[in-house]
Amino acid sequence: MGEKHYGSHTLLIPTELRHGRDGAPHKPKTEHHGLPCGALSAKPEGGTTLDILSNWMMGLSVALQPYNLMIAVVGLTLGIIVGVLPGLGGANGVAILIPITFAMSPTSAVILLACIYWGALYGGGICSILFNIPGEPWAVAVTFDGYPMAKSGRAGKALVLSFLSHGVGAIIGVILLTFFAPIIAEFALRFGPPETAAVMVLTFSAMTRLGGKSALKSLVAIFLGFILAAVGMDIVSGKLRMTFGTVPLMGGFHFIVAVIGLFGLGEIFLTVEEGLKMEGVKAKVTLKDIWDGLRDLLRFRRILIMGSLIGCWLGIQPGGATPASFMAYGFAKSSAADKDQFGKGASSGIIAPEAAGHGAGTAATLPMITLGIPGSPTMAVIMGGLMIMGLQPGPMLFKEHADFVWGFIGSIWVANFLGLILVMAFAPAFAAILRIKFSILMPIIIYVCAIGAFAVNNRMIDIYYMIIFGIVGYLFKKLDYPMAPMVLALVLGNLAESAARQALIMGHGNPLIFFRPPIALPLMLIALFLFFWPTISKWRQRLSAKKGG
Amino acid sequence: MRKADIIVALGLMAVGLLVLGDAIRLGFGWGMSGPEAGFFPFYMSLGIVISTFFIVRRGIKILKKEGMGKPLIAKGGLPQILWVLLPAVGVVLLTELLGLHLATVLYLAFYMGVVGRIHWGKVILLSLLVPFVVYVLFDRIFLIPLPEGVWGKNIMALIPF
Repeated sequence: MGEKHYGSHTLLIPTELRHGRDGAPHKPKTEHHGLPCGALSAKPEGGTTLDILSNWMMGLSVALQPYNLMIAVVGLTLGIIVGVLPGLGGANGVAILIPITFAMSPTSAVILLACIYWGALYGGGICSILFNIPGEPWAVAVTFDGYPMAKSGRAGKALVLSFLSHGVGAIIGVILLTFFAPIIAEFALRFGPPETAAVMVLTFSAMTRLGGKSALKSLVAIFLGFILAAVGMDIVSGKLRMTFGTVPLMGGFHFIVAVIGLFGLGEIFLTVEEGLKMEGVKAKVTLKDIWDGLRDLLRFRRILIMGSLIGCWLGIQPGGATPASFMAYGFAKSSAADKDQFGKGASSGIIAPEAAGHGAGTAATLPMITLGIPGSPTMAVIMGGLMIMGLQPGPMLFKEHADFVWGFIGSIWVANFLGLILVMAFAPAFAAILRIKFSILMPIIIYVCAIGAFAVNNRMIDIYYMIIFGIVGYLFKKLDYPMAPMVLALVLGNLAESAARQALIMGHGNPLIFFRPPIALPLMLIALFLFFWPTISKWRQRLSAKKGG
Repeated sequence: MRKADIIVALGLMAVGLLVLGDAIRLGFGWGMSGPEAGFFPFYMSLGIVISTFFIVRRGIKILKKEGMGKPLIAKGGLPQILWVLLPAVGVVLLTELLGLHLATVLYLAFYMGVVGRIHWGKVILLSLLVPFVVYVLFDRIFLIPLPEGVWGKNIMALIPF
């Protein structure tokens, strides 16, 4: 992988050339490698706090450049729309827009993609609270208390609570990211292929067990993802694999196409089957609502902080925003003094899941950027986008593209503040999108999905794949196969495979290399423990029940 | 639902077996330079086959004990899904001929007008405006060419902009 860093940059060149020919003054090329930050520019061994602070300032200055600010606002607006609309999710929204970013500099591209995610996180709550329909999976837990509160006439307050909790979750997540990312990246530099493989095993076993779905079905989803990633040319031997002599399969399956099909079309099929009824509560955010929201936030500050921390933990290890929001809701409910208020519009029932969801989303950046392991499906798609641009997330990114990494981290700070202002100011406008008839929105969504799927590789066959993946996604959702691990496996497929193969070569074919101390061994043991513990504890319960009975 | 569970698991098992066969053809042992090309797919597909075997076994057990359960697609859901799926497939086939932009005009008009029963003025406005915006955005600003189909190029050439 190392020597491939700029390998796929060829993809960028034609578009840039074309820009040059048109003389379009889209962006000054040197922009993010620009002068003002050049002086401070990222010392490679950014270990001490002072280094982190100076790098952070540099990142902020990159993110605050007018062009990047504009990109952030565009991304956030699109993200909020994506978040509000049921059927268009964060992962899907990012996947569709990846082709557009081919024409941008990597920093601006990642700002756009990440901002769609932050926007979708903010926007998911609007739909849940006003319409009792979760716009995103991570906003399901918010419907329990958000909608009742909105219905009782305090819609504005419910929205403010949701947005502010998002903001706090984001800040806590991004603080963790800023201070721990350099340390973890430094540590991860010592990783060899066996350690990388161990981290992947740990990732997938955490994901299998946190999804709350059947472990067998999660395994099937993971294996299927890896197999789909392997279709086409084998990078090591150059042999064609699983093409069965057909030409279209030689190009393999692109994860963007799979994501658009699985999450986009699959979700639409589910929505039309259920027959969507949009009956919402009208809302306006007044100053009094903001004041009330702030007061409640201070009152439930313990829940707020705990929710954010639960979210960050699940984002890092990787669970994603959805389990985080449920877990935080459960925590808030079990620790509250007034349990009977829950489900009727309790403030802490909104605060906890929203803070956790956004905390998880932000914290998911940490493993992605330091280890190359995305902490949530949407982050996996963002990482896939970076890989297309020739940037391999992982510890080397901090060394080789420090200005990019810190620009990205800086943009997370800036974008989350911007997002908060945007949703606060325009929440009713975004909610109005939901009043558009579904039979207008739906064909346009499918149209946009088809463009996204086509533009990845400019291949017609990808649109057919997208439809097939849509049907698969529908079946998987219905039958409880988790899709997040499958997407992760698709994105990580080549990395995981080459890590496993290189490790085996290092060990001369001895699989014990995956358990070599000092780093791989504990990681593997934790992974195995995480994976088998629920099963073992179930057996023990059954045994003790038998003894007791 | 339970029957569908078993069928889907069997289908996945078939995919697993297919890949397994290909992996064996490629060789999954130790080659000239470490593990051979089929090494990784071999173990992945083995995993699928084993996991789906247990899913099927459990599915049959539950099916025998508790009966069929809920249907996979809720009552009245299938026509709704087909109303989405079939036009979508149709527009892809049309794209092969007319190109994405023109096919979309027809698709949006069909779906909004016939399925959605939206006022025809709105239908015409939207089904022309949306593909036009996309055309300007992608083909002109971002320079990402979208599919033109067999005749699309010729027809688009008639449009002056």
